[in-house]
Amino acid sequence: MKISRRNFLKGSATTLFLAGFNFPVLANTTKKKNLVIIMLRGGMDGLCAVPIIGDKNFEKRRKDLILDETIKLNSDFALHPKLKNFYNLWQNNLGAIVHATNIPYTKRSHFDGQNLMETGGHIPYAIKTGWLGRGMKLGELKGDGLALSLPMPLLLRGIPSNDNFYPSKKRLPRTELLQLLKSVYADKSEHDLANMMEIIANRSMMSSGGTSMSRKNSSLAYKAGLELKKINGPRVAVFEVDGFDTHAAQGGINGSHSDSLIEMDSIFKSLEKGLGNEIENTLVLTLTEFGRTIEQNGGRGTEHGYGSAIFMAGGLLKKSQVYTDWPGLKRKELFEGRDLNSTIDARSVYASAMSTVFDIDFKRIQKEVFWGDKLQDLSDKLFKI
Amino acid sequence: MKNFYRKVAFGLGPEDEVPSDPLEWAKSQLNEIPEFSWKGKILTEKELRNYYRDYVYGDRKVLRKKFKNDKEGYKREKNKLRHLTGQKFWWNLELCIRHSEALKSETPVLAKLWYFWGNHFAISEKDFLAQYTTGAYQREIIRANMNQTFEKMVQEATVAWTMIHHLDNNDNVGPKSQEAQWAKEKGRKVGVNENHARELLELHTVSPECGYTQEDVIQMAYVMSGWRPNWGKKRLETGDVHFNGEYHQPGTKRILGKKYKSGRKSLSAVITDLVNHPSCREFIAMKLCRYFITDNPTKEMMEPIIKAWEKSDGFLPDVHKAAVEVAFNYSEKYNKFQNPENWLLIMSKMSDVELVPTPKLMDLYTLGLKPTHEQRSLEYLLRELGHHPYLAKQPNGWSDVSDDWMSPELLIRRLVYAKEAYYKKNRKSQTNEFYEEMVEKNYDNPSEILKTINQQGDLSNRHVMLFNLPETLKS
Repeated sequence: MKISRRNFLKGSATTLFLAGFNFPVLANTTKKKNLVIIMLRGGMDGLCAVPIIGDKNFEKRRKDLILDETIKLNSDFALHPKLKNFYNLWQNNLGAIVHATNIPYTKRSHFDGQNLMETGGHIPYAIKTGWLGRGMKLGELKGDGLALSLPMPLLLRGIPSNDNFYPSKKRLPRTELLQLLKSVYADKSEHDLANMMEIIANRSMMSSGGTSMSRKNSSLAYKAGLELKKINGPRVAVFEVDGFDTHAAQGGINGSHSDSLIEMDSIFKSLEKGLGNEIENTLVLTLTEFGRTIEQNGGRGTEHGYGSAIFMAGGLLKKSQVYTDWPGLKRKELFEGRDLNSTIDARSVYASAMSTVFDIDFKRIQKEVFWGDKLQDLSDKLFKI
Repeated sequence: MKNFYRKVAFGLGPEDEVPSDPLEWAKSQLNEIPEFSWKGKILTEKELRNYYRDYVYGDRKVLRKKFKNDKEGYKREKNKLRHLTGQKFWWNLELCIRHSEALKSETPVLAKLWYFWGNHFAISEKDFLAQYTTGAYQREIIRANMNQTFEKMVQEATVAWTMIHHLDNNDNVGPKSQEAQWAKEKGRKVGVNENHARELLELHTVSPECGYTQEDVIQMAYVMSGWRPNWGKKRLETGDVHFNGEYHQPGTKRILGKKYKSGRKSLSAVITDLVNHPSCREFIAMKLCRYFITDNPTKEMMEPIIKAWEKSDGFLPDVHKAAVEVAFNYSEKYNKFQNPENWLLIMSKMSDVELVPTPKLMDLYTLGLKPTHEQRSLEYLLRELGHHPYLAKQPNGWSDVSDDWMSPELLIRRLVYAKEAYYKKNRKSQTNEFYEEMVEKNYDNPSEILKTINQQGDLSNRHVMLFNLPETLKS
């Protein structure tokens, strides 16, 4: 895959865009910084991924789901033992966690929750753009987004001309045909199509003899890492991991929730590999619609809950830490008597991250991306500023 | 003008005669709802919903308990259950029925409008609706009402089981209802769920242009409270939709300034008023223009459609004819970007691709088995193209704005699946003469087009070129 963003920006569709502005951010700073969001669909169980140590309430209610051999992170929290790559990052001050956090959505529909985690709003379906797209628009990052999926995720809506990569199982036509189509598009003043064909033609030259590339997240993440590393490459990437909705046989270390966590972990590893040293200038954050109930259900799974956790990785983190305002797990401390509460609006973390990576004042993001909602600026607590 | 055949239908196939009066050709397809041209098996929505019931019950009430300590066993048995209830088969059968209307029927214009309405009253990706009932809902609720008034279509779509389930109206309980009181006594909290009410206003009828408030949405939800599936221990949430007064919010409701009495009849009364609101016909007229003509419809385009609506009281055949006529009048000036599914059908129709598996092949399917590769081909293909009509991401359906379809991967899919399609054609259509005739029949600038594609020596590459030219992508 080769995405030549500067060529892309040369297209006349963007001339208008550039005319009115100074060349954004990149020209002013030497460092190119990247933001990666991994969407965890289905409701990631923060208490399975990052269990609390020595809490009787927890152990009592989840006796069949408690993990053995967890990795101790600090005196209060441990890590799921299969998250080896994340633990590596943690040991190098490149991994951190925000715990007991969620978007401000307290009902329990995946459908609504996933909409809100992407729009950042309060009412399902009321907003038609994503918080990341709006943030990028504020940062004038047109043409800088890369989705590792086929349909553009709602999260990136709000700014046009994002790229996506999700390899086809079939072989692309010869470059000559692509070039011919490109020139036809250009002759007919179809600039958007011509821009797209330029990207496609470049991509085809990079593919190895037409064999189809893997769609596994670990493989996509490596490619994405290589692109993000380039000075002219994208600055934002979005992944999706499914399967966190484990109503049954959630299990312990080898349970079904672990399978999805391992997939997430593989993204961390491949991104790091692809990015090389540029991991230093990158921030990776996870995003989910809600956590899961503390109590296990009759099928040794868990139901839809509220508070969860955010995994963070990359060199733009301040340090390795579990950042939390822990609400406790006694019944009266639980949300509606059943879920881990959320004491940090997850959007505060995302707004702070965008402020750090896009170099935009937090207050502007708060106002223009999140409608002036009451959010905390956590930049100095979580990130290098 | 010839783009009109692609704009309101799927172009002209090799067997189609060139209509002497294109507009009349299009309009004459809109009066009746003919039988489906699909000659294989067609199941009712109710039958398909019962398969869904068996799946949900089997998974939730049986397997999850039985295999609580056995992840692999659970996966294995759940997979068996999927096939026993046809989970991978039915939606393929539905797509065969759907696509045959575009490719094999006498009424492709009606088919293209059917897809429009299916997407207007969209069922987006939720649970396993797509695999079981979405296709049947589009047949029995949407298509069946295309020779009725818009009001009738809204009335039926609103209380269709698939729609009620899709937009969570089963969770919509009046806070002062009997049920809410019982729940409170048991320490449970129930209340209003606004989803369906909001979409009825925003997406299905008047749109935000009409200026309703959040309070109107809540009042609408109160009106809708009680419309839910008839719950049963075995059928769970898959029972027929009925009005259950115990869940209904008592008292008078007020929506857009008008009062409605409590009870079963109020929903229908509100819908009648909504569809007669000027914003509703403007919204539908705008969407029809956006689907057929341009991303940015003008007032002038919308006007004749609104007029036809007013004159006929929203009688859909008249509204459709007006829309088709506007599309005809603007066909010289505007070309509309075709979404992937419509593009696939245009290519298949014009170049004689055997896209749809035969009824014989589909009817060979036996429950319990995994459908064959060929039986699953349509579902797979649409997903690969990034546009599965039953898997829209949001209740507002798939976008009909071209920007939303501009991405490298989505265009790559059109390149590679154009090539695939070429090899699905029979030999006699793999000739230069065939392409010359087809281009002549379907494009206003045939010599320019032939000159362009003939720069490729190989016929399969000419085919790929043709269906990725701006003239085809935008019709």
